[in-house]
Amino acid sequence: MSIASIISIVISAILTENIVLNKTLGICPLLGTSKKTDSAVGMGLAVTFVITVSSVVCYGLFQLLDMWNITYLQTIVFILVIASLVQLLDIVLKRFSPTLYNSLGIYLALITTNCTVLGSANMVIDNGYNLLETFIFGFFTGLGFTMVLILMSGIREKLNRAHIPVSFAGFPIALIIAGILAMAFAGFSGFAF
Amino acid sequence: MQFFMTYILPVLVVGVFAAIFAFCLSFLGEKLAIERDARIDEIERNLAGANCGGCGYPGCAAFAEALFKGEATIDRCNPTAAANKSNIAKILGMSEEKSRETVAVVRCIGGNKCRNKYDYQGYGDCESAQLLADGNKACELGCMGLGTCSESCKFDAISVDKDLGFAIVDSEKCTSCGACVAACPKKIIRRIPKDAKVYVACSNTHRGKEVSSVCERGCIACGLCQKNCPTGAIALSNNLATIDYDKCIGCGKCKEVCPRKCILPFSMEYNAAKNLKNVNNTGDKINRKGENNHEKTA
Repeated sequence: MSIASIISIVISAILTENIVLNKTLGICPLLGTSKKTDSAVGMGLAVTFVITVSSVVCYGLFQLLDMWNITYLQTIVFILVIASLVQLLDIVLKRFSPTLYNSLGIYLALITTNCTVLGSANMVIDNGYNLLETFIFGFFTGLGFTMVLILMSGIREKLNRAHIPVSFAGFPIALIIAGILAMAFAGFSGFAF
Repeated sequence: MQFFMTYILPVLVVGVFAAIFAFCLSFLGEKLAIERDARIDEIERNLAGANCGGCGYPGCAAFAEALFKGEATIDRCNPTAAANKSNIAKILGMSEEKSRETVAVVRCIGGNKCRNKYDYQGYGDCESAQLLADGNKACELGCMGLGTCSESCKFDAISVDKDLGFAIVDSEKCTSCGACVAACPKKIIRRIPKDAKVYVACSNTHRGKEVSSVCERGCIACGLCQKNCPTGAIALSNNLATIDYDKCIGCGKCKEVCPRKCILPFSMEYNAAKNLKNVNNTGDKINRKGENNHEKTA
């Protein structure tokens, strides 16, 4: 493990293999919580927080499953773990950090069954990362997600002040914007490390 | 052993994980539960539940909490029925305050009778028009009639009359939630008591000469209403007539003597502002820009 491999993980998690625009995971929050920058930031931070924690926990559990040779249970166990973990975080944050809970609270419940979280936990296993790499990957995947959400909300706030043909107004134009953003991000795939 | 590894272990693993998490959740849920006063829930049940946001809080739940903490007073919420309000006052241990039921009115009847400063061709809502040199009306406090208030209304109670060019509140639908009061960039929507008989339908605070140079209907602060009011309920402040509804007896003298006819009769069933259409429809219609959709056909 070297600095170079960490940098490569960071760049790929944020840009080249962006979880939303490249892996097409988490399209629901991308469209649902990107109407305002405030909610985009809240959702992004909540997802970053949960992905980081759950990736590390799922990494640990996978070692256990691997030991017993039942890795085919990966998906079901991860779903179980993530759903409970989010609920646990919800309870713990509410008690010990009301400020953080007030800013993340309403979004935490949305993340319970979010595919970005399960997806990044699976990717960690597929890529064969170690614990530190898992932590870094989880954190920067979350940051990449936050960045896309903020980009998207910025564009959509501008679109509110633009004249859009009636048939495209609202949801359709959001999908088109997401597509154009994804194409722009595809440009990063030339980066080689 | 083979049987155990193939069939029993997976079931055990998933079962044990599920049990551990279920235990953690229920244990911690109980242990770390936040003591929430039952009275907050009781208050919330008594609120209207419209979640209109007119009180300035994110919803009825947040408002209930603010009420309980004493940060807000119940009269910030208008959709809630009077009986429920007194229930809430009882829960909070406060003496029942008698607050008059209110309704929103747009204090401008300029519209097309008010000169345009420029041709507005922007997005077509009041906020964006306001960003361009304080709106397209020559009167700083004139309704631009672009409908930000009617978009903010959850009860479909306020709409812009296209012929008249200003917004009119449908008093019967209005719950006085205050959403339009907050949305209007000109701040010309105000609440008046439901039993009011007259209201001043102008907000312009400039001197008479300036008002008459921009608007055919605005208050010129001549003071006739003040002189003729038998109870002294009308005062001129900032070159604008204001009515003290505690003193107003609803005799209607003011609306008769007003040379500009900008003191309008008011009742819940019938909106005098709407009637202006029939009286004053002879004037040339000033073409209002900004309401066309600019859809490109090519």
